[in-house]
Amino acid sequence: MTMITADERAAIRESFARLLTDQCSEDDVRRTMEVEAGYDPALWQSMADMGILGLIVAPEYGGIGAGPVEVEMIMEEAGARLLAGPLLSSAVLAAGLLSASKDTGAQSRLLPALASGEQKATVALTGDKGSWTTDGVSVEARGEGDVTKLFGTASFVTAAHVADILLVVATTPDGLGAFEVDSAAPGLSIERLESWDRTQRLSRIVFDGVSARALEGADEAAIEHALDLARVALAGEQAGAARRIFDITIEYLKTRVQFGRPIGGFQAIKHMAADLLIEVESATSAARAAAQAIEDDAPDRQVLVNLAAFACADAFGEVAATAIQMHGGIAFTWEHPAHLYLRRARADAQLFGSSDLYRERYVAALENAA
Amino acid sequence: MSNEQVDVRSEVRAWLAEHWDADARRPRAGGSTSDFIAKVFEAGWAAPSWPQQWWGRGLGKEDASAVISEFRKQRAPGAGQDRTNITANTVMNFGSDALKRKVVPEFLSGRVHQCLLYSEPGAGSDLAAIRTRAERDGSDYVINGQKIWTSGAMSADYGLLIARTDWDVPKHDGISFFLIEMRQPGIEVRPINQITGDSHFNEVFLDNARVPAENLVGAEGQGWKVLQTALAVERLVMGEGAGERRQGSAKSNIVSLIDIARDAGKLGDPVARQEIAQAMAYRQLNTLNMMRAKAEMAAGSSSPIMSLGKLAMSRILHEDARVMTRLLGAASMLDGSDNPRAADVNYRTANAYMTSIGGGTDQIQRNIIGERVLGLPRETEVDRNLPFRESRAVTG
Repeated sequence: MTMITADERAAIRESFARLLTDQCSEDDVRRTMEVEAGYDPALWQSMADMGILGLIVAPEYGGIGAGPVEVEMIMEEAGARLLAGPLLSSAVLAAGLLSASKDTGAQSRLLPALASGEQKATVALTGDKGSWTTDGVSVEARGEGDVTKLFGTASFVTAAHVADILLVVATTPDGLGAFEVDSAAPGLSIERLESWDRTQRLSRIVFDGVSARALEGADEAAIEHALDLARVALAGEQAGAARRIFDITIEYLKTRVQFGRPIGGFQAIKHMAADLLIEVESATSAARAAAQAIEDDAPDRQVLVNLAAFACADAFGEVAATAIQMHGGIAFTWEHPAHLYLRRARADAQLFGSSDLYRERYVAALENAA
Repeated sequence: MSNEQVDVRSEVRAWLAEHWDADARRPRAGGSTSDFIAKVFEAGWAAPSWPQQWWGRGLGKEDASAVISEFRKQRAPGAGQDRTNITANTVMNFGSDALKRKVVPEFLSGRVHQCLLYSEPGAGSDLAAIRTRAERDGSDYVINGQKIWTSGAMSADYGLLIARTDWDVPKHDGISFFLIEMRQPGIEVRPINQITGDSHFNEVFLDNARVPAENLVGAEGQGWKVLQTALAVERLVMGEGAGERRQGSAKSNIVSLIDIARDAGKLGDPVARQEIAQAMAYRQLNTLNMMRAKAEMAAGSSSPIMSLGKLAMSRILHEDARVMTRLLGAASMLDGSDNPRAADVNYRTANAYMTSIGGGTDQIQRNIIGERVLGLPRETEVDRNLPFRESRAVTG
């Protein structure tokens, strides 16, 4: 891992924020969410040029070699702007899984293309139950002679419809493993699922004897390692998005006049705002602390990652939902952005597992720590 | 770190090594902690940022912080009161030179104790509605009225008192701030029996109590402004103290919630585990917020998070008590030394209100956060600009 100085970190954040201000306005998001691809190729290329797509990719593979702290940071910005596209799927989850594996061949072949934006990848993690737990995996890897073939289904796979490479988590006789599959391979069918968050693309994938290549060293521990990074990235997205819709709401409270005064002067509204500020600040603290704990491989890493996973999901859900109520009628219209945040919040709250799952894991981690 | 700071640090270290036994946590020369604090005062460490003619050492902010940090490392008391001593700071800011000379050394050297005579039965959240009156009589003021929620009143030598000197101006403008001697015939202190069974707070009755005019802090009618300074020091002390307690209790709380669940046979209950997780998360999130706030302030950016701590803590305490009660179940009906868990959880349930009401209710805290942090419009106060005599606080 490269040492990133505080100044470099601030510079990355600032230039990424500026890029999103220019190319990821609310109008841009609305336009992008209606096109099949679900992302803006020009913006994608700009992100590649800026190094965002190679943020966690090692320098020898054309990346910046940054870590979880920087990933969390840029995801706060991406969340604030409701960036649509495969950033999390390709640049964090897939690049993270490849990096966590011991497969230098796959790394040198795939990571440079992911960092440069020439190729996109995603990871298929769970089956139709969508539990994101070990027993929720319903793809099986079978050795047939010299080749490995995949059978079964994966669902809720993000950005699969635009991915060149699928990394598939499947059961093997030795536990879970990860397998590289060409998205055009025979026997593979990718079906787009209609998603309530229109900025997100989900697919269900059926594997009927699809030829696959095992990723060396991508065992359950490596998969969990990559997932932790993705959890913290998602937590950062949630914290950033929660803060933005909160700020939008506070501005509205100062300008919307009823009964002769701005509605933010009414205690019924003011008190909701104060409570939400605690949620927003807590989400930011939780996401950043979890990122730092992964970076340091701290003893309380599992406690903090699990905490961030449910605290940030719940905070974003609460802030986005309450923001609509605080706005009143205007936020019940399609044209107002509040529902876009609610949609993202509800989708993010399920991705990689529910808050209930992470609360359970949090208690278990605390029991272990005690 | 500047050379000067190194010098200050080494000077403090040398002084502490001579006077304070850090391992035993007592003065080397023997004697009481207050004897030691008197020495700290004489050496100028009590208020190192104040000028030398006012018992300080004229140190800059960083050097003064270095003094505090050296004392903290050795767990020695008495330093840095230029930040934390409510009375000394208030008098230094607003008192006459004569008053400063009379009382500040006593307070800094730990020889006297104070209590706060602010709230009244009719002036809780609306503190500016106080009706205790102060009337000039020769070289004294005569005080009549009633104060409430005063902790430490029994052992206090002085009270920081707000009283009304002018009833014909708006409520904030007619208040004056006094330093009153507590041990006098006109003052009666009665303990309040709290819902917990404790008696931490008192009522204070002022019946023709007297305070010399030289103990007026700030000009007559400037009391509200003086009070804001006193409250700011108090919040700083409470915030820092609460932060330390929070850090310490996070771990014990984690152990106790899980232990209670285990003992109650509910550690395997998935619903109970969800509730435990949520209660513990509130506490840990608050700790993470405070750590981030401190880091951000150390890096020079202001943070709104500090102002959220009290409201967050009130939720933590109520939620802890609620979850513990659920875990205990029927046993929570019990009390007494035969039932320590029940006694503890019932105490926590009742005592949580001390945080959600005391020092500004949760509802007032939400107003403050909304207005001062988020910049939302202020509450309308129908009596803000009325002569106090005409407000409903007086007319009923």
